[in-house]
Amino acid sequence: MNALPKPKVSRRPAIPLVWVVPLFALLIGAWMLINEYRNHGPEIVIDFEDGSGIAVGKTRLVHKGVAVGVVLGAKLKPDLSGVSVRLRLDRDAASLATEGAQFWVVQPEISFGAVRGLDTILTGARINVNPGRGAPARHFIGLERPPLPRGRDGSRSFILSGDRLGSINPGSPVFYREVKVGIVESSRLSDDSTAVLIRCRIEAPYVDLVRANTRFWNAGGFAFKVGLFGAELKNTSLESLVSGGIAFATPDTVPLAAPAPEDTRFELAREADKDWLAWKPKIPLHSPEQSARQPKAPALAPLLPSAGKPE
Amino acid sequence: MNRPPEPSSAFHRTAAFALAAAFMLLPANLLPILHTEMAGDIRTDTIWTGIVELYSNGLWPLALIVFIASLVIPFLKLAGLGVLLLSAHRGVPRDRLYALTRLYAFLDVIGRWSMLDVFLVAILAGLVRFGAPAQVVPLPGIVAFAAAVALTILATRAFDPRILWASVPAESPSTETSG
Repeated sequence: MNALPKPKVSRRPAIPLVWVVPLFALLIGAWMLINEYRNHGPEIVIDFEDGSGIAVGKTRLVHKGVAVGVVLGAKLKPDLSGVSVRLRLDRDAASLATEGAQFWVVQPEISFGAVRGLDTILTGARINVNPGRGAPARHFIGLERPPLPRGRDGSRSFILSGDRLGSINPGSPVFYREVKVGIVESSRLSDDSTAVLIRCRIEAPYVDLVRANTRFWNAGGFAFKVGLFGAELKNTSLESLVSGGIAFATPDTVPLAAPAPEDTRFELAREADKDWLAWKPKIPLHSPEQSARQPKAPALAPLLPSAGKPE
Repeated sequence: MNRPPEPSSAFHRTAAFALAAAFMLLPANLLPILHTEMAGDIRTDTIWTGIVELYSNGLWPLALIVFIASLVIPFLKLAGLGVLLLSAHRGVPRDRLYALTRLYAFLDVIGRWSMLDVFLVAILAGLVRFGAPAQVVPLPGIVAFAAAVALTILATRAFDPRILWASVPAESPSTETSG
């Protein structure tokens, strides 16, 4: 006889399996909400003198090309001296808001010598930041114009005094043999208003080019001279033609004069003497990167095979 | 083919899906659903701010449609399912059976109309991809919203109106024996 097959007894779980669904929904929903609010970083307040271009909910805080915060609100300060802009940072950008951070509004700018922030024509203004180094802070004073690029370690500033400013602006280049080696940082009248003081910064690898007896001159614009023996057109470079600039040369005395220390004051001549342009001192350049990473060969050596050979 | 459903199974499935839908409705309404960039106009909208924006732009008929389809109907459906489940649990007086069955049929019909928002976001995000000048990016909120609507549809489908009838208290045995 065939025995009947054993009956299959299914044991129902006490709680139907379908209750897993709301459990999952609860976990996922909670995770989504937590994730959203975890991304919120601190709120900071920046005071600007002028709030044009800043739109609530639209203007972003951008650092290194990435949006890391958004404007939550903008209102006049009680004494009408400016506007307070409230921003919320992303969580991972919280460390930008530390003491010494510089904030400024980027708007399209087209002028002789510089075209900046063109993308903001379409996107509206944005706020840029130079992160600070100190303790976390929540309240900042915004800059009215973009700060000059920060000098790298080892750069040096000098003060030039001339009888007129010419077309030199903050950001104008400083040339050595028509190579850009630094920028003009600021300019002002001297205390007795008899001269113009210009502060310029020479970048690290080139600081040794400036010696105690170096001569500076205004290289902006161009000079056109017509004389008895023909015409002469002088200019340094197209860049200095439109934005102004300063050039310098160091005499090739033997031995060379000592390197000029920080904040040395020089005369700024209106134009170069002929013999200044003929000076050819041999000054070894010490770039921090080269001494650290590359033992000997300068970066240009493969491109310019004769650069290292003595003439 | 169609086995008679086990009333308790239908009840549990409906309740579970409805509860899950309620959980998903929370992030769906709190989180942003859409990020749009049009000619420098950058905005991030939740369902509610989207409705307000439509209204303040003078498009109040559209705002009304989105308000009903995206906000009212999902909550209405959950409330309706809650009424049905509670009635089945407690037992239904015979004279309310007809109304409750009609409610169930109504919930079944309106369910899919809530997908309007999801549909809109999907079409916009698919069509508007011009890079810098115009861009539409869907955000997590819309996923939660789609999940919530799908779960309410599942909940309605899982519900079996017969559990309402089964829950009628057998107070008048004379009518049962007559059949």
